[in-house]
Amino acid sequence: MTVVVAHKWAPNPQEATVAPGGTVDLSRAKPAVSEYDPVAIEVGRRLADAWGCELVGVSVGGPEIAAPMARKAALSRGLDRLVVVADERLSGAGATPTAVALAQAVGEVEDVRVVLAGDSSVDEGAHLVPSVLAGLLGWPSLAEVADVTADGGALVVERAQGSGSQVVRVDGPAVLAVAADAAVPRVAGMKDILAAGKKPVVELPLAGELPAQPEVVGRAPVPLAERGRRRIDTTDPDAAARELVAALRADGVL
Amino acid sequence: MTTTWIIVDEPGVAGLLDTARNLGRPTAAVVVGPHELAASTATAGVDRCLWLGETGDAPVEAFATAVAAVVADGAPGVVLAAARPSARALVGAVAATLRAPAMVGAVGVETDGDTVLVEREVLGGIARRTERCDGPVCLVVDGGGVPEPGAAVPVEEVTAEALAVRVVENRPSSAPQVDLAGARRVVAVGRGLKAKEDLALVDRLAEAMGAAVACSRPVAEGSGFLPKDRYVGVSGRTLTPDVYLALGISGQVQHTVGIRGAGTIVAVNTDADAPFMKECDYAVVGDLYTFVPALAAALQS
Repeated sequence: MTVVVAHKWAPNPQEATVAPGGTVDLSRAKPAVSEYDPVAIEVGRRLADAWGCELVGVSVGGPEIAAPMARKAALSRGLDRLVVVADERLSGAGATPTAVALAQAVGEVEDVRVVLAGDSSVDEGAHLVPSVLAGLLGWPSLAEVADVTADGGALVVERAQGSGSQVVRVDGPAVLAVAADAAVPRVAGMKDILAAGKKPVVELPLAGELPAQPEVVGRAPVPLAERGRRRIDTTDPDAAARELVAALRADGVL
Repeated sequence: MTTTWIIVDEPGVAGLLDTARNLGRPTAAVVVGPHELAASTATAGVDRCLWLGETGDAPVEAFATAVAAVVADGAPGVVLAAARPSARALVGAVAATLRAPAMVGAVGVETDGDTVLVEREVLGGIARRTERCDGPVCLVVDGGGVPEPGAAVPVEEVTAEALAVRVVENRPSSAPQVDLAGARRVVAVGRGLKAKEDLALVDRLAEAMGAAVACSRPVAEGSGFLPKDRYVGVSGRTLTPDVYLALGISGQVQHTVGIRGAGTIVAVNTDADAPFMKECDYAVVGDLYTFVPALAAALQS
């Protein structure tokens, strides 16, 4: 029995600059283990400890994900070992080719009970890779997962549903996208980072053809509505409030 | 000619139908849910309405492979699903089966023969890109409201096998349900709100204003002051109220992308250089703790 966590090594677009023509420059955005993926690794660590099994990380992407820094960043957060598929064709790949490569990596791991993923990636933020991966594996996928436990051969999953939650039972393996607040990820210390350097990493060549990717035929900046930006000073909060109410009434929105 | 497919698992699919209609292709719906959902979808202006039967105690996600098989068999061109977790589970399986691109953030879609041109916002809405796909493409777009009923097509029931997933227990929230999508006025809070108890201040203002209360993502997920279905922005809600009042929200693009269609935007922040101050109609520089009570009072006078 094995717990797998899929994670992404990605730049944070918060650091990106966008040229007037709409070209995005991510060169100043340092890549890292994607924002919510440490939560998935933490949930996976607890699950693997509770089940007494191995926690395997899988990651796919461009050549940079196989670099020692990228490997250690993931391994130091509690993985036992790592499987990576690093290939130029996966640089900036969309959800479907990414999921195809992940399915290949998951297929190399024996006796997988569950594949965990983060809520969404920091760069694409599409929330789609887990469900495409599940589709490729023929397994169910569930998102916004708050908790996972085992009951015999089944997974008992608590996930958000509307503003409440729902408990779901899965017989057999599943792909679960954990909620961003499902666990508080550990902060890797120097000892963890040193130990990470000694953990096993398997690098797989990308097998087979990737699905066709769309061709980019145009780029543009996001057109922003011209907004008034009228400054209201609050030295006198009551006067400021009256000024705003009068303005909103004049605009006809109150 | 290809068919435009819409995936229906909840009544809010008017946004999908709008996109589908603009493509000028035959439109088919595949419905996962109770018969009444299929019956209402059949009146929503689709050419065909396929229903996978009653779901029993299986959640929507259990029908992912069944939906994929139905769509794959139906000459798919553009496949549309709403930006909700359950609908994403379904469309993901469709993309896997078709080995087709799956994308979010579409603002415009055109077809030319089998070619689909998608203009979409990328990287959390910081830029736009037009992409050409030669073959089917799966798009996740804002579901929108409930479509207006019109003439009905027959509901065709398809036998479907569910994956081995069952709902064991529902735990509804004690928090009141709020219709954010339909709200004409919205007050939203961000990290400028220091404690959960301080929501009382915001609630009083919202009441005086006749507004619904929303929030930024950290308020729902970091501090948990409000339920998760109330946060606005990337991966959260997209709202188009007449007026949006942002309290203590810095205005990072990940948030503002969700309210770009709002009528009037008011930003209240202690930081005069917060990004929101450049993307608003009224920039109120000051402390929400003094301004909010003053505003509530001014609205009542």
